[in-house]
Amino acid sequence: MILLELIKTIWVSLKVSGSATLIASLLAVPLALFLAGNEFKGKRLILLINQTWMAAPTVVIGLLFYFLLSRSGPLGAFGILFSQTAMMIGQIILILPLIIGFAYSALRQVDQKARLTALTLGANPSQAGWMVIKEAKYALIIALLAGFARAVSEVGISMMLGGNIRGETRNITTAIALESSKGEFSDAVVLGILLLGITLGINLLVNSGLREKA
Amino acid sequence: MGMEPAYLLHQIGYRYPANKFVLDLERLEVPAGKIIALVGPNGAGKTTLLLLLGLLKKPTRGDLKFFHSDPWQSRELLYEKRKEVVLVTHHPYLFQGTVFENLVFGLRVRGIPEPEWKGRAEEALAMVELDGFEDQPVKGLSAGQSQRVALARAIIIRPRVLLLDEPTANIDASMVSRVESVISEVNAQLSTTVIFSTHNFSQAFRLADQVLYFLDGKQVKYSHENYFSGRAETDGAISWIEPKPGAKIFFPGRHQGHLTVVISPEKIEMFPASQKQTIPGPNIFSGRITRLEMAENNLALLRMSGELNFRLNRPLSELDKKGISLSSPVLVRFAPEAVELIRK
Repeated sequence: MILLELIKTIWVSLKVSGSATLIASLLAVPLALFLAGNEFKGKRLILLINQTWMAAPTVVIGLLFYFLLSRSGPLGAFGILFSQTAMMIGQIILILPLIIGFAYSALRQVDQKARLTALTLGANPSQAGWMVIKEAKYALIIALLAGFARAVSEVGISMMLGGNIRGETRNITTAIALESSKGEFSDAVVLGILLLGITLGINLLVNSGLREKA
Repeated sequence: MGMEPAYLLHQIGYRYPANKFVLDLERLEVPAGKIIALVGPNGAGKTTLLLLLGLLKKPTRGDLKFFHSDPWQSRELLYEKRKEVVLVTHHPYLFQGTVFENLVFGLRVRGIPEPEWKGRAEEALAMVELDGFEDQPVKGLSAGQSQRVALARAIIIRPRVLLLDEPTANIDASMVSRVESVISEVNAQLSTTVIFSTHNFSQAFRLADQVLYFLDGKQVKYSHENYFSGRAETDGAISWIEPKPGAKIFFPGRHQGHLTVVISPEKIEMFPASQKQTIPGPNIFSGRITRLEMAENNLALLRMSGELNFRLNRPLSELDKKGISLSSPVLVRFAPEAVELIRK
């Protein structure tokens, strides 16, 4: 494999999964904060659905969005099937419940007392909510890392919604699938090691950042 | 100030979703600038009342006035009024970071200019005898120090009302009097209304202008199980009252006249009725366990009905070991020194 193509493949993985993680967190963390801080009817049902959704196979999500985004599908007019955007949407849907679940339990651990303390000291609800997020920041970062790891390592969605187009939507996992189907197992193994190396590097970076702050 | 009420509660009720009312008050007036003690067993509704007074929970029904206004009529008013009252909870929560960061949280959200923070932090820490603790991370603090930091974090704000839930429960004996002094000082220097809950009757009477009793979510007048009244008799060294014929409660010292005494549920021991011959007195009473509830920390909350009725708390393991369960015949005993006197 040519070096330039390899770099592009890695870049697609990082860009798509990184953006998916960022967008999913922006949706998931406020939702988790709301769930952790409020008791209401139907909350248990929401949590149950979320937990079930966590186990959704990537190909099922891929298939669902394939139908939605294909030309004859209800969202076909956008014409985004086989694009990085489609992969990103699929990955957001994949990791959203995971981040909600982890963030919920992280925020739940600190929520009641931290929130109450901030409120009684005179904070308004948004200041108190921010305080709760700050108190849970380490656990929240772990939630985001878990979301990223799930996104960057999935193959079903990338394959079905991205289409594995060289230089466009080919990422590390779809490249691995392609190389193994061609019988180029040594290339597939190298790509696999590379993927692990990248996630290891990101984890090391975040952990050293956390340690410095602690 | 003087006669203005800090709080006026009328037919206030509070219940947690899908539960019975945990608080049900006909009328309660808290005069401004006074120290008020809330006394009662666990589950009496003291903490819930403090949450309502702290404007942190909205009453399920009834009318709550805070310095003449209804804080729940609008969000803006609620947030404004919350800035005038601070609650220090039983096991206070300290934010991650340093003591200083915790202290100035209330100043920051009030928009108090930063140059003032340092001086006020020093002053607040000095009051709780934690001088120089500004830069300490809260992680390394003992439970007692944490409690005092939480107290300093509340008084630095100079609130109109200071609410304290069992402020000396986690504190070393040596620091209890310091915390008690803080309560008096804050009240005297800043005319802060202080409302605190406690299990310690002598503390309540020592500090408070007014002591309010609670039982099962209601305000009561000396009617909780372990209160007994009677005409005291004495032989000089020891005195007793006889709340029911034949049932005498002994306590040390020379006392006469009508007295009310109370025995803290924690200070009552329990034995199987079969040991009647072997347990030395005085203050032994027999009866049966008529109520048994599980509480936190593997504690059982019991009620014994018999010659006199007592409420007591024992570890669950002890019930197992002594083979005591609901309706078991039992003996209870407490030391004469455990009897606290309440003068009318």
